[in-house]
Amino acid sequence: MKKNRTKRLNQSLLAVSIATLLSSGVAMAKSDNMHQLYEDNCSSCHGSDHGGYLAPALNAETLKGRSPTALRTIVMAGSFDTLMPPFYGKLSDDEIRGVIKHLQATPKQPNPAWTMDDMKKSLKVYVKDEASLPDKPTYKIDNIDNLIGVAARGKYGRGEGSRAIFINSVTHQKVGEIPTEVAAHIIDFNPANPRWAYVKTDTAEIFKVDLYSMQATRSIKTGFNGPGMGVSRDGKYIMAGSFVPHNAVILDADTLEPLKTFELEGIDPDGKMVSSDSGMIIGTPYADIFAIALENAGQVWIVDYKKEGFPVTKIENVGRHLHDAFLTHGGKKLMIASYDDSIVAAIDLEKRDIIKKLPAGCVPHVGGGSAVVVDGRTLGFGTNFGDCDKMVVSVWDLDTMEVVKQIPVSGGTESPAAHANAPYVAVDIISKDRRARTVQLIDKKTLEVAKTLDVGGHAYFPEYSADGKFLYISAGYNGDEVVVYDSNTLQKVASVPMESPAGIFSRGRVKYMTRGLSPDEMEQSK
Amino acid sequence: MKLNYSMLVVGLLAGGSVQAANLYAGQAKAAAVCSQCHGVRMPSADAPFPPLGGRDPEYLKTAIKQYRDKTRVSDIMNAVAGSLTDKEINDIAHYYGNVKP
Repeated sequence: MKKNRTKRLNQSLLAVSIATLLSSGVAMAKSDNMHQLYEDNCSSCHGSDHGGYLAPALNAETLKGRSPTALRTIVMAGSFDTLMPPFYGKLSDDEIRGVIKHLQATPKQPNPAWTMDDMKKSLKVYVKDEASLPDKPTYKIDNIDNLIGVAARGKYGRGEGSRAIFINSVTHQKVGEIPTEVAAHIIDFNPANPRWAYVKTDTAEIFKVDLYSMQATRSIKTGFNGPGMGVSRDGKYIMAGSFVPHNAVILDADTLEPLKTFELEGIDPDGKMVSSDSGMIIGTPYADIFAIALENAGQVWIVDYKKEGFPVTKIENVGRHLHDAFLTHGGKKLMIASYDDSIVAAIDLEKRDIIKKLPAGCVPHVGGGSAVVVDGRTLGFGTNFGDCDKMVVSVWDLDTMEVVKQIPVSGGTESPAAHANAPYVAVDIISKDRRARTVQLIDKKTLEVAKTLDVGGHAYFPEYSADGKFLYISAGYNGDEVVVYDSNTLQKVASVPMESPAGIFSRGRVKYMTRGLSPDEMEQSK
Repeated sequence: MKLNYSMLVVGLLAGGSVQAANLYAGQAKAAAVCSQCHGVRMPSADAPFPPLGGRDPEYLKTAIKQYRDKTRVSDIMNAVAGSLTDKEINDIAHYYGNVKP
């Protein structure tokens, strides 16, 4: 406790001394250049419409009354325990002053248009003849499922450090790096053809990646911001959704050409017609459908991609501010988190209806979710930001849809990892102090925290290797490595250096659908 | 990052007669004060900040003290190093000195 206070004190001293030092001096840069400067340096996290995205909204309303000097200090020195980097030396003092003045005078922008034509024009082809690509991996790997992809954000959320990095999870060696220019956010693997993966960035570009030769063959910009992306079970379609603008698109997974766009809007649970951010998008092994969450409209839409015109079934009133989800029961059921109602709604994708709303701690963020079979019961694990007193991980019986237990943990959590062959469910503690360095391990049988790992950095997004033998964890934010542990002994076995690693995605996911389930589970459902 | 015993010994020896360096304290201080710009091990490939990992601890000590005492001028470094004690500077310098970049 004392240590924390000292650290805070030092930081605030630092902030004050920098601010004092720089409060003199002249400034004023041109406002028109400032918009471009914002787009080039800030918008990938703060949103192209100034409405916030991963990071807070920066506009006249949100910054009203804030001291420009204090804001300048944050821009220059960055903000500890967040992803905000120091722009000292990257931007001149005049630029920093100018952009703050610009932001304090700019209202949140209306939804900028990004049409089918804009998307088509943004399509880039890096490898013209894909038939010329090698027909097997050009590096040593026994099974392509052993690949683990890491979304390395890069310190500045863009630049040299922004890459999708692929690792052989048996040897823990990097086998490929795909530069993405802007922070990579989501990596999805093609369930039908093991050679393809898709990487989506925070500025909504999607890269089609050849995992055999480890290079991008094509890319397309699907919007301004937004991580939502899913791949169909037949590997022929991708659906992507944006925060800015409020739309979604179905792409041909082969050519990345856009086939149809969807305007995301609807009646929210309070009866208001709203335009909506896209939340999670998921393809299920159970049917030829995509499910997409409309965050603000509180709806889940089901899109039949094999039917003419991609018809949509709308499930309304699912919950306020929907975000992420995971599948269970062979992909027939979807468990989707509602931030504002603090519930996880179970949806029957067959009947296209809500089964039940389950308590889910406080501001649930289920990440990729986890489900494990223990003593014949299928248990789902749900993490939550826990921005209240209740810091728990929820465990539900997914057959009966009842709460089994709310396991006390040391802080807010963001993503659970599980594997059929590993004894623990790992949850990342994200509370903004020393706890952020840690990951807690819940024993599958006792449903209690068995151990706390001090990983370092801001430890988050745990993921097991496809064989369940190793646990990969990003030591992100200021941290610069992915740390690998033995799943049973919990001894550190390797460190893979990279800049600001975030989400970790095992190719094994396409086999077990939801992390923690065994591949047999999926066989049964077919 | 894991600091092993031999690194600790090297740190202690290199600390010399003036003061024994505490690499763990140095790591914590570096994480709180320096790493935002210089990284835990290496700065970002896009960062305008110099790497500190693997540098000579004596050089780092001298440089940080100069920044602190403002005998070497840099607006940001004079501010950042301004409140560091000799002990903290010694710990930080030996921490970074022992990091393999």
